[in-house]
Amino acid sequence: MATSFRLNGETVIYHGDPRTSLLNVLRDTYRLTGAKAVCEEGFCGACTVHVDGEAVPSCLRPVGLVADCSVTTIEGLAERDAPHALQAAFRKHDVVQCGMCFPGMVMSLSKLLEENPSPSREEVKRGMTGNMCRCTGYERIIDAVMSLQDNAEARP
Amino acid sequence: MSGGYDASTAVMDYPRCDAQDKLAGRTRYTVDRAGPETLKAVLFRSNITAARIVRLNVEAARRAPGVRAIATAADAPGKFGLGIADHVLFAGDVIRHHGEPIAAIAADTMEQAKAAMELIELELDPLPAMLTMEAALAKGAREIHADWKDYEILLEGAKRGGNVAWEATVERGDSDAAFSRDDVTIVEGCYRVGRQSHVPFEPRAVNARFEDGRFNIETSTQVPWTVRSVTARALGIPESHVRVTVPAVGGGFGLKFDCTLEPYAAVLAKMTGRSVSLINSRREEQLTCLCRENAEIRIRSAVTPDGEIVGREATVLMDCGAYGGEQVFLTTMTAHTLGGNYRVGAVKLASRAVYTNTPPNGAFRACNGVYNTFVLERHTDEICREIGLDPIEFRRRNAIGNGDVGATGQVFEGDVLRPMLERMVEKYPYASSVESARDGWKRGRATTIGTWFVFVGPSAATVNLNADGSATLVTSGVEIGSGSMMQSLPQIIASELGIEPDAVIVKSADTDASGRDLGVGGGRQTVSLGAASAAACADVREKVLAVAGELLQAEASRLVLKDGRVEFRDGAGGSVRLTDVIARAEATVGPVSGSGAFTAPGVAAMPGCAAGHFIDAIDIPVFAVHDCELDVEIATGRVVVRNYRVIQDVGRAINPRAVHSQVQGGVVQGLGYALHEEITINDKGFFDQSGFETYRIPLAGDVIPVDLEMYEGAPSIGPLGTKGAGEVPILNVGATIACAVANATGKQVSELPLTPPRVLGLLKDGTEAIRLDHISRNWRENVISK
Repeated sequence: MATSFRLNGETVIYHGDPRTSLLNVLRDTYRLTGAKAVCEEGFCGACTVHVDGEAVPSCLRPVGLVADCSVTTIEGLAERDAPHALQAAFRKHDVVQCGMCFPGMVMSLSKLLEENPSPSREEVKRGMTGNMCRCTGYERIIDAVMSLQDNAEARP
Repeated sequence: MSGGYDASTAVMDYPRCDAQDKLAGRTRYTVDRAGPETLKAVLFRSNITAARIVRLNVEAARRAPGVRAIATAADAPGKFGLGIADHVLFAGDVIRHHGEPIAAIAADTMEQAKAAMELIELELDPLPAMLTMEAALAKGAREIHADWKDYEILLEGAKRGGNVAWEATVERGDSDAAFSRDDVTIVEGCYRVGRQSHVPFEPRAVNARFEDGRFNIETSTQVPWTVRSVTARALGIPESHVRVTVPAVGGGFGLKFDCTLEPYAAVLAKMTGRSVSLINSRREEQLTCLCRENAEIRIRSAVTPDGEIVGREATVLMDCGAYGGEQVFLTTMTAHTLGGNYRVGAVKLASRAVYTNTPPNGAFRACNGVYNTFVLERHTDEICREIGLDPIEFRRRNAIGNGDVGATGQVFEGDVLRPMLERMVEKYPYASSVESARDGWKRGRATTIGTWFVFVGPSAATVNLNADGSATLVTSGVEIGSGSMMQSLPQIIASELGIEPDAVIVKSADTDASGRDLGVGGGRQTVSLGAASAAACADVREKVLAVAGELLQAEASRLVLKDGRVEFRDGAGGSVRLTDVIARAEATVGPVSGSGAFTAPGVAAMPGCAAGHFIDAIDIPVFAVHDCELDVEIATGRVVVRNYRVIQDVGRAINPRAVHSQVQGGVVQGLGYALHEEITINDKGFFDQSGFETYRIPLAGDVIPVDLEMYEGAPSIGPLGTKGAGEVPILNVGATIACAVANATGKQVSELPLTPPRVLGLLKDGTEAIRLDHISRNWRENVISK
């Protein structure tokens, strides 16, 4: 059985078992390794991708369920030379450490800012509940997200 | 190093150059690098805690579809370890812990490898499992390593015996006399802590190939040279047959300070002639985590009415699990942590690594310093309560200062702890913080001090100057996320060579390209690799200035490297572009490169008072003062941290913003340890917490911004006066939270983590005091007799 879906703007047809997780299909078949397999239980958020505009953990989604959907991964979020405002803010504020959680963090928070361009600090924290980080202690990530509010053109 | 170079040019908030690709998902960690051409490997692990292997048959598995090779004990017979060679790669005759590898399988796909595991035939004769240190130390307990006497000793001088893998002791002065004095109060306490799991987001992972008679190992490690030597020992081959390279590492925190998966992949790569990938599943990563060890501590002190500590005796039992591992080394650190912070008259300390039938433990950010500081600071507050002295005043009087003698007789240099403590209470006076808690809550505050160290040791660096004026740094340094390779080293080299940090290319670790290095850990990377790099730059500078001297018709000593040029130091005369000097050098003497090396000169201890120690004195002490205010909910036992303040001895902060990030992250890991993170072991000897659902790490909603003040200027042999800043932020967190909870509740806090049920037990007096009957009150009975 083949599963057809849009992946970062291109139509792809996956020929394997439709019960395979979207995460494994992205990483093993399409070699898009930006989404990370960290907990594989849907807790950590490191594998977050956009499916039809919604941020979801790709580890819990069988690829068969994204048939005919549009999937965007961290690799497809922004042009190479024009990073997303969040990526630019994280870089500018030097908040990255080991980096494993950040692709998922960017995918989740980019959706949060789309829905709420001027979140409070508490709202950002709540929005990060599904994105864990073991290195940074979070606060400086939140500082970087909040900095976007001072920069109108950086808003997504 | 030649003078005249302004160290302040190294100080800046230089942003890390690996952020862009990490943020875009383009960075390839070890777990991302195995494509479809690579064989996938799995480990067949023990699902029982202790047994004799009666029969192992892998023939059916070997014939299974897609299987390319199966390795067992016969394929890697060598023993390895720290201090003692007690560890084997595969269980051959005896299984000593749940999850111990018995065989390794490489197949075309992961599914095939896993299917083949089902075909392995294993017949076992179960042995009684010893899951606790109390059981392992009981009279007549079965020896977990029956042949411990035959093991090769890698470091002489320690006592061992039965289930005691290693014993380190300190005896300085006459503590019996101190405890017999009639003017002293004797304060005694027992403490216990559980295991903490590192949870690096990239699990341990390796890709291996066998090419031209040598092993090529690409791995997620903090210690490429340890991987090289352990792989060689396990496989019985020369170390020179192993090459280790390290891409970006997705977190380590000490878990990757040991060799674990690499030799399995190496064996399979040689058997198959193919690339082999071996990655721990999250469940395996968690169930075989080389945790911060569980420990049990008995401590007592003899203190005069004016607060002089005239005698101290302590015994620390460290659970090393089924094999000695890092705990053998870490027995050393009890002297410098539990025996640290304070001036003490006479001291007896015993630190014992005890074998149990549980998964081996390892190194974790500030290691046993974290719980020894918890014990010492809680014990200190108990002393203050007994003798009626203010805890701040007690610490002010007794904190180690210039010329004071540490536990092993080392003489400390500089007054650091006391001014840091005074700064904390001046910044946050106690009198002003008496605001009471809401109804239903109790408020507590505590201030603690801590001593840790920089684990110096050998590092080597080469710096090559390139024709375009850039410099390439070649070391075995690893970027695990702390920023030392991406920030500290480029900043140091740029400052030394008068170029921009962006013009410094940092080669990722490769044991074929660089000299030996101890690895990333113990806060050593900026210090040791930085010093080696600075020495390499001095070599480069000498060569550059000699050539520039010819071009400028001047003595080299009059010249200086600045802004990509060679100029006169006094501003006189002309200048020449660095690129022109490099071109001239290539034409006359050849390309310019420099090499540098570093190791610890070794600080003196008092002869004869420390036994079984890997290091008798600490070369670079690092001090920290922490303070927190928290509320405890009476109905639930929930602890809410209101604020957290740190004053940290950083030597010299060359990237203040990066230091802040390390402190925020380290304190939050410590809050996890203090409040909820614990691996528990069930009656079968398995960890209860096998993944993120059961092992809860701090979430964004759990944390608060940490208030940091950096204390600069304390003595350090590090380059530009630096000290490692990434390891120590976690040191006092358990201590500070515990002391604050004790102050809030008025109860003795003797155990971590302080989960709501545990705190509720304290509040309701439902928690029985920890007794630790298996640690004698007579210190001498706790050590192996002479």
